[in-house]
Amino acid sequence: MTVWVRPLCLAALVVTAAACDEQTPTGELPETLDVQLRRNIGQYGVVPIAAMARQDPALVTLGQALMFDKVLSGNRDISCGTCHDPTLHLTDGLPLPVGTGGTGSGAARTLGPGRSFVPRNAPSLVNSAIGLFYVFWDGRLNQFGPQGPLQLPDVVLPFDLPNVLAAQAFLPILNRREMRGEPGDVDVFGNPNELAQFADTQAAEIWQAVTRRLFATPGYPELFRAAFPYLPSSSFTFREAAIAIAAFQMDALMRTNSPFDRYLRRDDNALSVEAKRGGVLFFGEARCSSCHNGPLLGGQQFANTGVPQLGPGVGAAAPLDLGRGGLVNNEFYQFAFRVPPLRNVELTAPYFHNGSFPTLESVVAHYNDVSRSLRSFDPATLPAALRDSYHGEQATIDSVIQHLDSRLREPLRLTEAQQRDLVAFLKALTDPAARDLSGIIPASVPSGLSIR
Amino acid sequence: MQFSGLRAVCIAVPLLSFASPAARAQLIPIKTIPIAQGSQFEIFPSSNLGMADVSIALPDSIGDPFVNPATTARLPGSRFFATPTVYSVSDNAGGGRSLPFALLARRSDWFGGFALTLQQVEPSRPPQQFGGGVVDLPPRPGGDPLSVVVPGNTARAHGNGYAFGMVGHRFSAKNLSVGASVTWTALHALDGVDLLYEGSRSITQRGNALDLRVGALKEWPGERGARAFEAIVVHNQFSTTHDVLFADLVWDPNRQIFVEEARVDTNYDRTKTWGAQLQYQIPLATPGWRIGWLATVNRSTHPNGPSYQIGNSGVPQDPGHSYAYNLGIGVSKVLGPARFGVDAIFEPIRSYTWANATAPVATLNGDTLPPGAPTLENRFSFANALMRVGVGRDIDLQGTNNAIGLQLGLVLRSISYKLEQTDHVQLTERAFQRSWIEWTPTWGLSLRFPELDIRYQGRVTKGAGRPSNNFFFVGQRDIALSSGMLVAAPNGPLSLTDVNTTTHQISLSLPLR
Repeated sequence: MTVWVRPLCLAALVVTAAACDEQTPTGELPETLDVQLRRNIGQYGVVPIAAMARQDPALVTLGQALMFDKVLSGNRDISCGTCHDPTLHLTDGLPLPVGTGGTGSGAARTLGPGRSFVPRNAPSLVNSAIGLFYVFWDGRLNQFGPQGPLQLPDVVLPFDLPNVLAAQAFLPILNRREMRGEPGDVDVFGNPNELAQFADTQAAEIWQAVTRRLFATPGYPELFRAAFPYLPSSSFTFREAAIAIAAFQMDALMRTNSPFDRYLRRDDNALSVEAKRGGVLFFGEARCSSCHNGPLLGGQQFANTGVPQLGPGVGAAAPLDLGRGGLVNNEFYQFAFRVPPLRNVELTAPYFHNGSFPTLESVVAHYNDVSRSLRSFDPATLPAALRDSYHGEQATIDSVIQHLDSRLREPLRLTEAQQRDLVAFLKALTDPAARDLSGIIPASVPSGLSIR
Repeated sequence: MQFSGLRAVCIAVPLLSFASPAARAQLIPIKTIPIAQGSQFEIFPSSNLGMADVSIALPDSIGDPFVNPATTARLPGSRFFATPTVYSVSDNAGGGRSLPFALLARRSDWFGGFALTLQQVEPSRPPQQFGGGVVDLPPRPGGDPLSVVVPGNTARAHGNGYAFGMVGHRFSAKNLSVGASVTWTALHALDGVDLLYEGSRSITQRGNALDLRVGALKEWPGERGARAFEAIVVHNQFSTTHDVLFADLVWDPNRQIFVEEARVDTNYDRTKTWGAQLQYQIPLATPGWRIGWLATVNRSTHPNGPSYQIGNSGVPQDPGHSYAYNLGIGVSKVLGPARFGVDAIFEPIRSYTWANATAPVATLNGDTLPPGAPTLENRFSFANALMRVGVGRDIDLQGTNNAIGLQLGLVLRSISYKLEQTDHVQLTERAFQRSWIEWTPTWGLSLRFPELDIRYQGRVTKGAGRPSNNFFFVGQRDIALSSGMLVAAPNGPLSLTDVNTTTHQISLSLPLR
């Protein structure tokens, strides 16, 4: 018996000792990129985008025609699609847009005699229907305004507009630089520009005049009646046109199937390794998500990101542009502009509210050390026509830096490799279907005017 | 990540357990998360359960027939069993109850038996450490800032059914017995699975398990007792499907609110295992003492596995295979009314799993892995150990033919493994080691009358945990638990809340004649 019991007891002791060796984990397995990225994403309310419901085809057809028809502009020389050009991913490729009176299209478009640039970059309309809370770079049109939802301090919009897109469609045709023209302008046929004759305060009259134009254009009455069969012809206003344009945006301009969106829908292979590393930075160390968060990756905040001052300026501060800080009761937001949503950002260069940075790489480098980037900004990187409008005075730069968003005051100190990863992540926000949007351009519009 | 009362762990290979109530040591469990498992499959009677289930050198007169059908030949006569069993996981984290009926019969050299079991398993819940209840989310009409439209969890328990059949023959002249058994299980509820799909709204389980085994028992009578050799070949097949309903939060651009979007993930859990075990017992020179050895080999393949989610860690279960071995030695003493037994088992296990690209995948250096190419390889090496020690003492009630028996025991299971992982996409290699101990005190009380045996046996397993509530937003991945065989890749830490699993079994045993 002793022969067996001793070795057995010894074996038992050895096994027990081995078992008792480590009760607590010997170490944690390093998190994979996916775990890090998904955890970081989860902290910022970034969720997939559901499908947009199909809109009434008749409404979409009318909206498409209006979007690309220059008859809406005072001089009949510019349409919404001129600055939101589908071949340029519904932007114009320019730092600052060239409005009515200009010639050419896209990045080759040039100012007409005596004209000046529209002071802020034309944002892409891709995903404009995604649910933006704020519209325009200064967010003056929004769903939470002091005048009530979808209202502006200086323009009285119809009270029963269905969404912010429809409200937005009322405004470019009022803007002299963008679409309406200046007093004394003549249109492309040499006829007087009747829209330009109205005072800036006569918004309702301008909308009525545009509506009269539309109903005087063969084809439009039929399109309106098809889109709004329940309305008597006598009751049509620009409201119906705006609703149709919004319907077209909702139906045709949504592109939310990027690799990142597929990743959000649990496809781990949708993102490259570089993009995942960039995503970890985006939602982590680089702090991009402190502003670019939520389902839209932005669109809900305003920030002074230290962008160089450029262009003709806006309002009383011209030639500077105070952004949201130029609005009444928003002085806190000096030089602050809307944080844009980032889906498809790769396709919408140049960047920021005045297009002062031509590439994503330059944007990321700017964020890496905003103060230094602003102080060392080289206007030679701008198109020649804009270089003279760069406001690089020391006082201006100091003022911008003084009001810089607190999140950007310290350099990020990202390495070049990290910056490349961030760019890879930003490029992963591109829906492949957004790369070629030329299919949404109609063959013709009821006015017979050229589309490009 | 360490919290008070929480155990931070890393998921490596999730875990392997077998949906067989007759598993014992023939099917070697692989467990890579210290997750508490309910005693769902401990439904058959046993005379040693209160003694830590020691078995290598101490025969279990009631339990052995369900493990090695050939040992039914040892039964002195036919018996009927009823073994109501309940188990519960502490902190209101789950539980279940089973009602098995079994009949083992001998007639001449033939023997056989059958058992039927109905079982109810409660939905597993996150441990409620602070006394909170589980809040079910009812459907709610849309229109609120967060529109909840996907039905919430159901608190309804689900049932499983087990059927066991066995037949054997004893060749008396050769002291050789052979037997074969089959156990078929209809599965609708596996304990703990609910918690392994974190964020899910409901899980529908369906599947079955089949356990086939052939056993032999050869005995050589001697003065101090018989030497015994046992051999068992076992085939275990496990197949379940989990339809997991998730409510993904998405942004609805139409209404411009967050809404829930229903998603049903179908996860397959498939495992096939072949195993063989040899066991040998001899009496020692000292009266009453016996010593035994066992050696077991398992080969498991798991072509499909569910993708489980715990916390923010994803553990997609990858295809793979495992070789598991155990080598054990045990000693026992039966002297008069006293019984003592101790088992020591070492379990080396090797598992290999991989993930294949389902579509072309770009690697870090710019190469492209074609569909079907491995993207990830995991090599697991386990060195597990199991210690069981138990004692029992019967006390005759003087003047009667009745007796009271007391049993105590302790099981210590040490799990230790190393993982080496190669990521062919990120071009990384990493290694990970982990170990922990689960310990299980056992106890038992028996009342033996001439016409009836009544046994109460209990056990409580400590040292493991269950996923607790987490409040992440979205973007989490599922990680998996399997009750077949689960071998998956680790990808991050995970928090479990320590819980205890308590089992109570009452066994009634009646001789038929």
